[in-house]
Amino acid sequence: MRRREPSLFRRLVLAIGAVLAAVAVALVAAAWSWGRTAADEAYDRVLIGAALQIAEAVAVEDERLVVDLPVAAFEMLALAEQDRVFYRVIGVDGATITGADDLDVGGALDRARRGPLVAIGRHLGESVRIAVVSRAVADPAVSGRVHVLVAQTEGARAALARRLALQVVGLAAGLGLAGLIGAVVAVRVGLAPLQRVTQALDDRDPNDLTAFDVAMPKELRPFAGAINHFMDRLTGRMALLQRFIADAAHQIRTPLTALTAQIDLLSRGDFEGRDRDRVQRIRDRADELGRLTNQILSHAMVIHRTDTIGFVDVDVVAVARRALREAVPASLARDVVVALEAPDHEVVVSGEPVSLREALANVVDNAIRHGAPGRLTVRVLEPDSATVVVEVEDDGPGIPPSAWERVTTRFGAPTSGVDGTGLGFAIAAEVCRAHGGGLDFRAPGPGGFTVVLRLARGGGEAKEAA
Amino acid sequence: MRGRAILSAVAALLVVTILPATGGARAAEHTLFPAPAGERARIVVRAAADLTVMRPLIRDFQALRPEVTVDYHDYVTNDLFDEAAAACRTGAPHADLLLSSAVDHLVELANRGCAAAHRGGAGAALPAWAKWRDEVFGFTLEPAVIVYNRDLLAPDLVPASHHHLAEILRTRADLFRGRVGTYDIRLSGIGYLYAFFDLLQTGTTYGRLLESMGRVGTVLRCCTDQVLDGVARGELLIGYNLLGSYAYARMKAGAPIGIVLPRDYTLVLARGAMLPKHGAGGDGAAFLDHLLSPRGQAVGRDEAFHFSADGALPPGVEGPASMLGSGAGRPIAIGPALLLTQDRMRRARFIADWSRSMIDMYASGAR
Repeated sequence: MRRREPSLFRRLVLAIGAVLAAVAVALVAAAWSWGRTAADEAYDRVLIGAALQIAEAVAVEDERLVVDLPVAAFEMLALAEQDRVFYRVIGVDGATITGADDLDVGGALDRARRGPLVAIGRHLGESVRIAVVSRAVADPAVSGRVHVLVAQTEGARAALARRLALQVVGLAAGLGLAGLIGAVVAVRVGLAPLQRVTQALDDRDPNDLTAFDVAMPKELRPFAGAINHFMDRLTGRMALLQRFIADAAHQIRTPLTALTAQIDLLSRGDFEGRDRDRVQRIRDRADELGRLTNQILSHAMVIHRTDTIGFVDVDVVAVARRALREAVPASLARDVVVALEAPDHEVVVSGEPVSLREALANVVDNAIRHGAPGRLTVRVLEPDSATVVVEVEDDGPGIPPSAWERVTTRFGAPTSGVDGTGLGFAIAAEVCRAHGGGLDFRAPGPGGFTVVLRLARGGGEAKEAA
Repeated sequence: MRGRAILSAVAALLVVTILPATGGARAAEHTLFPAPAGERARIVVRAAADLTVMRPLIRDFQALRPEVTVDYHDYVTNDLFDEAAAACRTGAPHADLLLSSAVDHLVELANRGCAAAHRGGAGAALPAWAKWRDEVFGFTLEPAVIVYNRDLLAPDLVPASHHHLAEILRTRADLFRGRVGTYDIRLSGIGYLYAFFDLLQTGTTYGRLLESMGRVGTVLRCCTDQVLDGVARGELLIGYNLLGSYAYARMKAGAPIGIVLPRDYTLVLARGAMLPKHGAGGDGAAFLDHLLSPRGQAVGRDEAFHFSADGALPPGVEGPASMLGSGAGRPIAIGPALLLTQDRMRRARFIADWSRSMIDMYASGAR
């Protein structure tokens, strides 16, 4: 048992979904980091701004460094309103002028000479970011570098980073969802031709071995090509087989004719009792063999013709009349009354005349041979504009409904014990199907048993359009 | 019911005065409010707020939680700050709740990580300026008012604004010499805070006012009560930047004083409450929530503080109809900007400048 493969649709959607999910994960990670960076940048500027303001306020008064902390600096820092603020102003001698003595940034003090910077540190048990600003003081009394440290806890920036990241995540989620929906739609649209091809394959008649020619995207063409190639070979095989059968039947016919002639000669001889019966039986069997051979030949011919010869306009009434005429000799032997009920005008269908005649002849022949003890009627009807129906009715016992389906399939006829109908109905049914119709039976009513042949006026085209 | 009332009245009279172990600092007044229904829990409150204004609130709290004993210690603001800061450094249990009118002290403590956050609860409804980090909460509104003696000061000399006050002090310096009183900001945390924010509001007007006050030899006192006493007795004509609640209580009690909320701007300070990080084992949050609850606010307004954020001015007070609604009320936001007031250099320089104007100028002028 082959393992069940997941459908193409599922494979595609899963693959696209996996890619989208990977992208989303990467995006979320990037968003967190980006949000953090953006928030840090924004608040670091505020921090450095505050430190610069404080550094600006450092002055020398009475030969001492003083700093009047500017309110604006603290109001700026209060923008991160839930965060703790620490600061320290360090004088030229390294002593704290004002602020938290224990606020420390280590080596960052020296680096700050090159420009304001922000260091990471901890103060009073909480992680903080510390802006360090260095300012040169050049006063006769006091000269050197003053450092201003301003530290702030990270609550506001974490909140901002979270908000930024969540927005990006929301956006990514929305885009991802839209992408997935788009992918589902796209995959469905993309796979639609496949569906169409499958449907077309499904709808094909099992006997239809012509090239498979449905509009399809080029990706599917090799697939169709393979099918067509396979069908080509199958057709070839079938043709070979049919030709073989036809050849075989043809080859058999010659010795069979000779055999029949010999039996004819033989039956003129003088036989007594059981010998006479035996000769008669040999003769019967030879007749049957001859008929079967003819049917095989005609079947091969019918199949060949309906498959290959184009349809022309055919007058069904004329065909029916001719089929009846051909059957008359047999009917005379059985003393059957034969009638044709048909419209006065021509009833034209698009079809293949020889096949149609053969089909009808088969049905009529069968009715005369097995059915009608006394009456046979052929009717040509036009139930609607698109259909032509030919009914062959006889007053015989008919075929039991349980056998209806069997007799219309090739070699599905009753076994020879009941003097089989052979290929007659199968040929007729196939011809009807080839003409867009079908072959039905109607159970024995007051008029007797009826075989109904339906034909589409448009012939084969009608079938394709259906 | 009546027995219990008597019991708690007796208990309230049981004022125990102790000397803090640190020595040197002023005494903290210790008052025990025993649980009316027998003590099953105890809350240690250390506060810089007069017992007279806190008592109705504690009583009301005990009406709801009769099993709780409230152990109340009253301090001067600076002492409370020093003690709380020391306790925070050592991690020693100190108090379950700190109350201080010098809210900048509490902000400084919270900034040092000495506060426990109290999320949710009644504090959630406070406006943003009235709380910080869910650690410091403002539970009252205290306008800085001008008080005058109704009997002695002519109506046309009643100051309506800071600018007006500076003008009349300048033009009638003879009348006001030695008869204007205000906080000594070297001693009073609240006085310092009011003065500091006066300067931030209008630098020039305040400079002129300070100069005028210096020229008339303004009397400096440690506390609101002493200035109010002076105005009530007629020794002083005008008291500047006094706590509105104390002044109104005095007026209600019959003192011949009038109260003005300056129309140009009125500083509004919230008294702060904070849960210390290292509690003393009691449920300080329960009392905090009570102070911030609508019921606690109503009791505070009616019986202790008289001014509130939304309500109209109490009767008899001159000023804009609604303190905050008129735009004249300038609340001092509880936040990191208050750290500035605690900066040691800025504080030293501010007090030095103030002293120069207030004291030296008069001294030189008197010479």
